[in-house]
Amino acid sequence: MLLGGGYVILPILQNELVEKKNWLSDSELHEFYALGQSVPGIIAANVSVFTGYKLLGLSGAFAAIAGITMPAFLAIIVIARLVGEVSYLKFIQSIFWGVGVGVLMLIIMAVRELWARSVVDRFSYVIFFLSFVLSACFQAPPTVVIILAIFIGIWIQYQKRLENRE
Amino acid sequence: MIFLKLFLEFFHIGLFSFGGGYATLPFLYRIAQIHDWYTVQQLSDLIGIASITPGPVGVNAATYAGFMTGGVAGAAIATVAVILPSFIIIIIVSRMLEKFRENKYVCSVIYVLKPAACGLLAAVGINMFMNNGYNFFGFLLLACLFASSLYDRKSPLFYLGISALVGLIAGFFNLTG
Repeated sequence: MLLGGGYVILPILQNELVEKKNWLSDSELHEFYALGQSVPGIIAANVSVFTGYKLLGLSGAFAAIAGITMPAFLAIIVIARLVGEVSYLKFIQSIFWGVGVGVLMLIIMAVRELWARSVVDRFSYVIFFLSFVLSACFQAPPTVVIILAIFIGIWIQYQKRLENRE
Repeated sequence: MIFLKLFLEFFHIGLFSFGGGYATLPFLYRIAQIHDWYTVQQLSDLIGIASITPGPVGVNAATYAGFMTGGVAGAAIATVAVILPSFIIIIIVSRMLEKFRENKYVCSVIYVLKPAACGLLAAVGINMFMNNGYNFFGFLLLACLFASSLYDRKSPLFYLGISALVGLIAGFFNLTG
């Protein structure tokens, strides 16, 4: 029942869950993936909970979440120990200096990817800009920005509904 | 007490991070600022490690942060706390899947949340860049990676590998400042 770790990407999920195990249909997986993005939390974990719950109910959801977190959990603890042991070495520090630059590059890539999917019109551009300024210039906690965004989303729909009624 | 704090912080990350991947990053950065659990430098190492370890980056980051703060017990608590909100919410949503998905309020909220999450992540990128205080050589490396990505986008592993290698070589020539 274990899903294993590292199934971050849709094609892998598709291969494993739909083709090999026949646990889900293709459209179900896509629906879970879409839903996994629209509820809070980490997408891969969300998809695994949806899948596990659909197959076996609560116990399935538990098994799936354990399966997707355990390998990573163990790997991280081992690595964290190792890094702690060797971090005083000069060449390890040099490697992490480089990794720091690489991480910035990954963040740039993630922002570009998110941008392509989310900034679709003038309004979403304004939201992006507001969120960026609040966070970068005014040090607003991310939670505050997210809650504001949720309220704005609700408010927009509420206004639309009022307009439709008139 | 530290364990309760860890639990609450990561539960709150699981509850408010939308968009997957690096969506947890703005929250992890915030923690580096308000708690002395780890530094921004360590956060940067953490993301690098989380990105090359199998498993979702957000979960890995929680495990790593928990481990640095409270050992193995801390790692377990942070990991459970970060996935618990997903778990609870999905169990609830599963029961009314169709309704949830087609709900106009839900769609509208997500339409606003996505660019907001993108803005948060961009802000973290800028903050981390300023905070790390890279010398000219670091800046050059980043510029080269970015320029190359415009021509041909490689996997995250490729960029991490290249930059780690360049860092190793640069270290020998004392260019890492």
